[in-house]
Amino acid sequence: MNHNQTIKSLFLVATVAFLTGCAAKDDYTGVEYAPQMYHSTPYEPLSQITDKSQGEWLDSNPEDEHGEFYNSNPYNRKGMTMREPVAGTVKRAKYAPYRIPKDSLEMAAKVVNPLKASDEVLAKGKALYDRYCEHCHGGKGKGDGLVGKVFKGVPSYTSDAIKNKPEGHIFHVITHGKGRMGSHASQVSVEDRWKIVKYVQTLQKQ
Amino acid sequence: MNEKKTSIMTKVKFTRLTFLLLFTLFAVNNPLFAQAPDGDAAAALPAGLSADPAVIAKGKEIFTGNCTSCHAVHEKVIGPALFGVWDRAPSREWIYNFVKNSTKVIKSGDPYAVKLYNEYKKTQMTSFQNYGPAEVDAVLSYINSVKPPEPPTTISTTDGGGTGTSTQADGGYTTAILTILIIVLVLILIVLGLMVNVLTKFLQDKEDLAEEDKEVVNQKSDLGKFFTSNGVIGIFIFIIVALSMKAGIDGLFTVGVQQNYQPRQPIAFSHEIHAGQYEIDCNYCHTGVRKAKSANIPSANICMNCHSAIKTESPEIAKIYKAIDFDPETGEYGENTKPIEWVRIHNLPDLAYFNHSQHVEVAKLECETCHGEIKEMEVVYQYAPLTMGWCINCHRETDVNTKGNGYYTKLVQLHKESKGGKTPMKVEDIGGLECSKCHY
Repeated sequence: MNHNQTIKSLFLVATVAFLTGCAAKDDYTGVEYAPQMYHSTPYEPLSQITDKSQGEWLDSNPEDEHGEFYNSNPYNRKGMTMREPVAGTVKRAKYAPYRIPKDSLEMAAKVVNPLKASDEVLAKGKALYDRYCEHCHGGKGKGDGLVGKVFKGVPSYTSDAIKNKPEGHIFHVITHGKGRMGSHASQVSVEDRWKIVKYVQTLQKQ
Repeated sequence: MNEKKTSIMTKVKFTRLTFLLLFTLFAVNNPLFAQAPDGDAAAALPAGLSADPAVIAKGKEIFTGNCTSCHAVHEKVIGPALFGVWDRAPSREWIYNFVKNSTKVIKSGDPYAVKLYNEYKKTQMTSFQNYGPAEVDAVLSYINSVKPPEPPTTISTTDGGGTGTSTQADGGYTTAILTILIIVLVLILIVLGLMVNVLTKFLQDKEDLAEEDKEVVNQKSDLGKFFTSNGVIGIFIFIIVALSMKAGIDGLFTVGVQQNYQPRQPIAFSHEIHAGQYEIDCNYCHTGVRKAKSANIPSANICMNCHSAIKTESPEIAKIYKAIDFDPETGEYGENTKPIEWVRIHNLPDLAYFNHSQHVEVAKLECETCHGEIKEMEVVYQYAPLTMGWCINCHRETDVNTKGNGYYTKLVQLHKESKGGKTPMKVEDIGGLECSKCHY
């Protein structure tokens, strides 16, 4: 084997070793092909790069004084792309915002469910209940969900204190939480909450 | 003879004695034979409470139905632990009144009630108008009948030790089997070698062998010559080149594919515990999955729905508290909050569009189809390759979920007219392979 051949074979081995190192593993994302098409130029809420040196090696715009992949708005609090709605603003929706404060349970109890019970509403209510409530309150509302057992303090819907609670009360508790339960308003929309209420009513009466 | 007889007799006596001894030991240790300490319990019963099983059962029913949401027998939950309340409260009458209408008792300025109210973060106890002395006494009787739990420390340590040794034993077992196998194989090799030796010697000593056979017997294997022969070198080079080509091509296919990417997260959140062990629905935390393009990383308020009370001591949970400036001692939130910087695992290139709600809410796909067995992942990794070929392949093979979806009525009808009634409508038939579906 002369020198040329040795260099050639070494080159082959090196390429193979390099290529096998391209695969993503653990903390390493792997080699990106055409990375400028991978990283978003506009601000993205869920993929935001706060490190200014990221992508310096292929910076297409040196005037902006940061790497190609940097993707954070310096004018936002903590550079976060995700924003909370402006205070006092209201989402345009079918339902007016619910303004009854947390401690006014008695007032809330008088609120009437805008939905009528139908098979469709109840089926949707059950599906939503299984997603958002079941792990604590249990499939039948006995307070015996897998999380509820560890969490402690989950009542049974059929207990004497709860079985006659009106729909407005249940809606209020989902919205603001009560006792140990936290507010679920950020997870479940107003309409979905009213559907859950309809289904919980059937569990109270079983 | 005589001597022998006596020795047998003593033996018999001895066994009887040991039997008796063992029996008495058994009787003392066994609760069946031990005397029930009924008399003691009855003597220790607080006034007005009953040890009658019927009363206790009734009390248990009321307690589990109404009280467990805030009270436990031996443990402070939201309200105080109820064991011994008959000694702590000012009077039995006070307990009856408090259960009936706690607000009234607190408002009357009763010092013990006000003290309790302030101690338990001003949480008001629900009023139970229907419960009179009989019901309250039944509940108290039940509470009195519940034994305090064993200190859990001893159980957990023995548990840990047990599992530790068992896994070790398992590991040792496999290695032992492997070593034995290797030893046996080596022995067989040696025995075979010896046999070959013996046979060759025997054949060499024989004189009536044909010439050809003699050649075979006296043949010497020249390893050096074998390995330098052209054929063998050719085969070796072919194998090496083929392997490197294969590795090279495989390597090229991993460029831009982040399958198996498994980054460490700032908080060691385990999907195995949350989604697997506790069966919390994916939707509970990933609230965007049915409404939006992204499934969303849950905000800390969703963590706090449970972790305001669960595992508050854990150092990982402490990281959440720090991020949202929550003080678990006082239960108050401060202003000094800081976002948790989770590491995104599924980095779909910006050049491709993907929408979760379209796939989960409309097509009703399971999360596991693309994300793998999330319920078994302690640390989540990218399960699917997320390549274009992977997307396209699924769009070619999957039938459109048209059931109960009015949007598709016309499309289904048109599809039937053009392709005949039997051919299923795949995603590709309604434009699932169009470039601009995902790239624009």
